[in-house]
Amino acid sequence: MKHLLIATALTGALAGAVQARDLTVAAGNMSSYLDPGCDHSNVGSQFYYNSFDPLIHKDYSKVEQVFVPGLATEWALVSPTTMELKLRPGVQFHNGATMTADDVVFSVNRMVQADFPPYQVRMRDRLANFDHAEKVDDLTVRIHVKREEPLWETLLNLQQLFILPEAYVKSLKGDPNALEHDDYEAFSLAPVGTGPYRVAEFVPGQKLVGERHDGFWGDAAPLDRVTVVNVPEVASRLTALRTGEAQIATNIAPDQLALIDADPGLKAEGMLTPLFHVNIFNVNHPRLKDARIRRALSLAIDRDLLNEALWLGKAHVPASHTMVEFGDLYMPELTTFRYDPEEARRLLAEAGYDGFEVTYDLHSPSYYTNDALAAQAIMEMWAAVGINGKISAEPKWTGNDPEMMVRTRSNPRYFADPFGSFGVMWAPNGPSESEGRYNTDAGFAAAWERFRFGTTVAERKEAYAEMMARFEQDPPMLPLYRPYASLAMTKDINWKPQPGHIPYVLDFRGGAISFASN
Amino acid sequence: MLNLALRTLLRMALTFFVIVTLVFLVTRLTGSPVDFVLGEGLTAEDRQILIRYYALDRPLWDQYMAFLRGFTDGEFGLSFVERRPVAQIVAERIWPSLQLLIAAVSVTLVVAIPLGIFAAVWRDRWFGSAVMVLAFFGYAIPDFVLAVFLVLTFSYWLNWLPVMGNGTALHFLMPTAVLSAALMRFTRNAMLDVLGQDYMRTALAKGLPEHRVILRHGLGNAWITILSVVGLKLAGLAASGSVVVEAVFSWPGIGELLVRSAIQRDYPVLQFGVVAVALAVIVINMLTDLAYGLADPRMRQGAGRCPSCTPPPPPARSAACGTRPMPCSGPPC
Repeated sequence: MKHLLIATALTGALAGAVQARDLTVAAGNMSSYLDPGCDHSNVGSQFYYNSFDPLIHKDYSKVEQVFVPGLATEWALVSPTTMELKLRPGVQFHNGATMTADDVVFSVNRMVQADFPPYQVRMRDRLANFDHAEKVDDLTVRIHVKREEPLWETLLNLQQLFILPEAYVKSLKGDPNALEHDDYEAFSLAPVGTGPYRVAEFVPGQKLVGERHDGFWGDAAPLDRVTVVNVPEVASRLTALRTGEAQIATNIAPDQLALIDADPGLKAEGMLTPLFHVNIFNVNHPRLKDARIRRALSLAIDRDLLNEALWLGKAHVPASHTMVEFGDLYMPELTTFRYDPEEARRLLAEAGYDGFEVTYDLHSPSYYTNDALAAQAIMEMWAAVGINGKISAEPKWTGNDPEMMVRTRSNPRYFADPFGSFGVMWAPNGPSESEGRYNTDAGFAAAWERFRFGTTVAERKEAYAEMMARFEQDPPMLPLYRPYASLAMTKDINWKPQPGHIPYVLDFRGGAISFASN
Repeated sequence: MLNLALRTLLRMALTFFVIVTLVFLVTRLTGSPVDFVLGEGLTAEDRQILIRYYALDRPLWDQYMAFLRGFTDGEFGLSFVERRPVAQIVAERIWPSLQLLIAAVSVTLVVAIPLGIFAAVWRDRWFGSAVMVLAFFGYAIPDFVLAVFLVLTFSYWLNWLPVMGNGTALHFLMPTAVLSAALMRFTRNAMLDVLGQDYMRTALAKGLPEHRVILRHGLGNAWITILSVVGLKLAGLAASGSVVVEAVFSWPGIGELLVRSAIQRDYPVLQFGVVAVALAVIVINMLTDLAYGLADPRMRQGAGRCPSCTPPPPPARSAACGTRPMPCSGPPC
């Protein structure tokens, strides 16, 4: 009997060892290029985390930030504006090269000293306080910031500071020892990192194949091969699960959930996506200069009703620009945005609104789940208080168009701090202001300074509350809700989106996915 | 016949030049890729840097000449979005589209045409009516409804057919069925028109066996209409890349690429893609014209019509033949 048990156990173990684990994901969209530095789209974020590492990781299964060693094993401030990091020895890139301090210095400096607009934009909106990185020895680097930085670990965890192999990037185009813009472009078609999956095949807009990187420094990848295929039609994505062509399908709208629940072979996993769907207002449009008009546009929208009708109540309607992931800086007590049609009518009358048309730019083709339905409902809500709204389908970004009045947009949480969500878009001289549809004054800038570089939580909270009060009085935007994003999968898969990630990350690292034994 | 071939070739060259020029101008009239690809958060200075980087600051005629030179040296530039050679991107997409077209034409020829003939010949029997009802639905139901219906039936419920991409022969079944569905009804109508003609009655009255009359006199004449319709439909499919079918079946074809590059104003891809598709349409039209010339002797004599643009008139009565029909493929008068 004992022998039989051992034999059975051995057979089982062997079968488990030789059984190849392949996974196919039917994705609603696919990137045209892969460079974690300049990209901050909701499409690219799906993939990077499987193939790249930051210097400092965190426990992504937790809402709060618990930092853990990544490509750096220890880090400490050596002066108020300088951090020294010890690098993990023996880390291997997908191309076989061993990571050194040179790669780290290169990867940090390419972003914080960027000289090409697509990278400069990212540097300005989140890494502007970083100055440069320097090598101390082969496994030690120092990173210098301009002013004391309260968010060191948070920022070193960013996708923009994932570590790339310097020699490989430089060798791609032109002079093999110099960095040219062409090098990045070649890199974005054949990316190489240190993560558990190497990019084995990438067909832009169509397909991405990751294969286990045997030289990975951490927990081995649980999958031999993961293939992500672009399947734009949601019915086809769900069907692919039934035919066995895919095991996970992304971008499942709430109205599909009943279908999945009714299917004995399928299940859905979802969570509140760490971003807001927002409406942005052009405060400099001649018709919208009067803040009372914009406040009325905002007060007229019944966001709870949108949530009930479009999201089955699964979305979250925020009272302010705040998220639970902000930790100590989460401020649910603030009421910055609310529904008050009476007040909206009063403000419109006071401002002398004469019935002029308010255009509502909607991305075309549809970009955000439920965006077109929400737009139509909002037109009705506006009409109910006397606002003459009109939807305008726009294929291009109109956020920098002086004619733009209101537009759909999302405001993701790029990192777990109000700076990483609110700040990335609404800081003084940030992208919203540089596009000319939003202004900050000296008072706001002072509050921003206290919030951004404040040394105590209380100081930062007080400053953030002040900025929110300004947004209530003179709103350049309205967060509609945190959408609820679902993925469908076959029942044998144990996987769910993890709350510590930025939106839409498909995390297939060790511990993140497993399979139910039959 | 040589004359017809020459005229066709000349018209082809002219069409091609006009298309190349139009494509170039139209893509540039509607916006800059800087706004579409990298629009967000750029300062005015950033925009200028990118415009220079993408060489969009060069005069229009200079860009136009560079585009034309591409046709002689094969250098069509890089995609603004993917930054890889445009020819490579388009080639990657056009082959799956062509495969689908070829499959659809083959099915039409092998299945739809015989079925169309049966439906026409046995139009009064249940078999003919059944085929007709099927063909009518194929024609009347929009592509996207038929495509989703097939997916739900054969993949979602029955689990018989794959739905994702173009990996195996099984992947071809449903998209091919959608694309060839519409052609069957045209075949049936063409046959019906022909069956009602006097010369068919005459041939039958002469005592020829029915199957010979149908195949030689009937199909011989109906063939002309069928050719025109198949040619037209094919050209349409090549031009639109059957965007809907590609979306439903995740087919990596040219349609999705063209739509996406139009939205992003990815000039190099859009220009070259549209020109490549135009070329395919022109070639299909030319082949249709030539086939038409083979099928219809009148074309060889320089009637100078564009057969794929207008449906042919009913067979003319020739003065030389008195009241008898024009000898097309039937016996001489």
